[in-house]
Amino acid sequence: MMSNPTPESLHPGLNLGEEHGEDHLEAETSVFGFWVFVMSDLVTFGMFFAIFAASSAPMWMAGGPGPKDFVDIGSIAWQTGFLLASSLTSGMAVLSLKERHAGEGASRGRLIFWLLLTAVLGFGFLYREIADFVSMAQMGAGPTRSGYLTAFWSLVGLHGAHVTAGLLWCLTIVVGVLVRGVDKRWKLALLRWAVFWHFLDVIWIGLFTFVFLGGLI
Amino acid sequence: MERAKEFHSYLIGFGLATVLTAIPFLLVATSTLSPGWTYGALVLCAAVQLVVHLRFFLHLSFRGQQKEDLQLVLFTGFILLIMIGGTVWVLGSLYTRM
Repeated sequence: MMSNPTPESLHPGLNLGEEHGEDHLEAETSVFGFWVFVMSDLVTFGMFFAIFAASSAPMWMAGGPGPKDFVDIGSIAWQTGFLLASSLTSGMAVLSLKERHAGEGASRGRLIFWLLLTAVLGFGFLYREIADFVSMAQMGAGPTRSGYLTAFWSLVGLHGAHVTAGLLWCLTIVVGVLVRGVDKRWKLALLRWAVFWHFLDVIWIGLFTFVFLGGLI
Repeated sequence: MERAKEFHSYLIGFGLATVLTAIPFLLVATSTLSPGWTYGALVLCAAVQLVVHLRFFLHLSFRGQQKEDLQLVLFTGFILLIMIGGTVWVLGSLYTRM
């Protein structure tokens, strides 16, 4: 049997790297455990997608508005851009842990800068999404109008709720890092949050493809 | 340099994801192709972008990875296939009978 005591990568997602010593090794269980949660969350999303797919036939619109009546492709493009850019900036935040003197002085400043930029982009996403929900409700396309709209609001709303949680988590890390410094606890939180944030962008691929653009064809 | 390599990985992933996002939006906004082909192109772009995200953003790979992590992801994919496929199949069949 081949033994490899220090594999290149201990867990999926960005690894801290050997220069972080103990913290790098402890990240393995911590991040793997979080992946188990993320995958169970993926199953939840999968079921919401399945319900949506099963409810998108014209019959389920019950004579009410369909995607062509309320989907604003410009707004969806903005939301997609915000989320994709925030995925990049969240990666930059984790990468700042790999700088020399990581977590101290200028490096900690860069970490906080990327986290705040990610939060701003995430907020931009939520702002456009909520604006779309409000205009849908005003035109009579609320979640109670038809089975299709119930599935639509549940699926898109579930993702929006996740983004809200991810935003709060991001800001919590900013405060934690400011108060306690970049210690093991916040490094591991940052790794897990980055996995969560990338995961939400992956879910969004399914949303803009099947729910928004697919509905407009 | 591990850090420089990872930085480039993010930039490549971001570039690819941007292109794979722009294609479906342009196809739908301009309706260049027939609905059937547009839908096919959308699904293809989404599938490729999924791989791009997993590879460049989540750093999932078949090499140098602990076995359990990959098994977790693959098993979840399997479960999803059964549950989503089964739901759509059963309810779709029901729909055509109504």
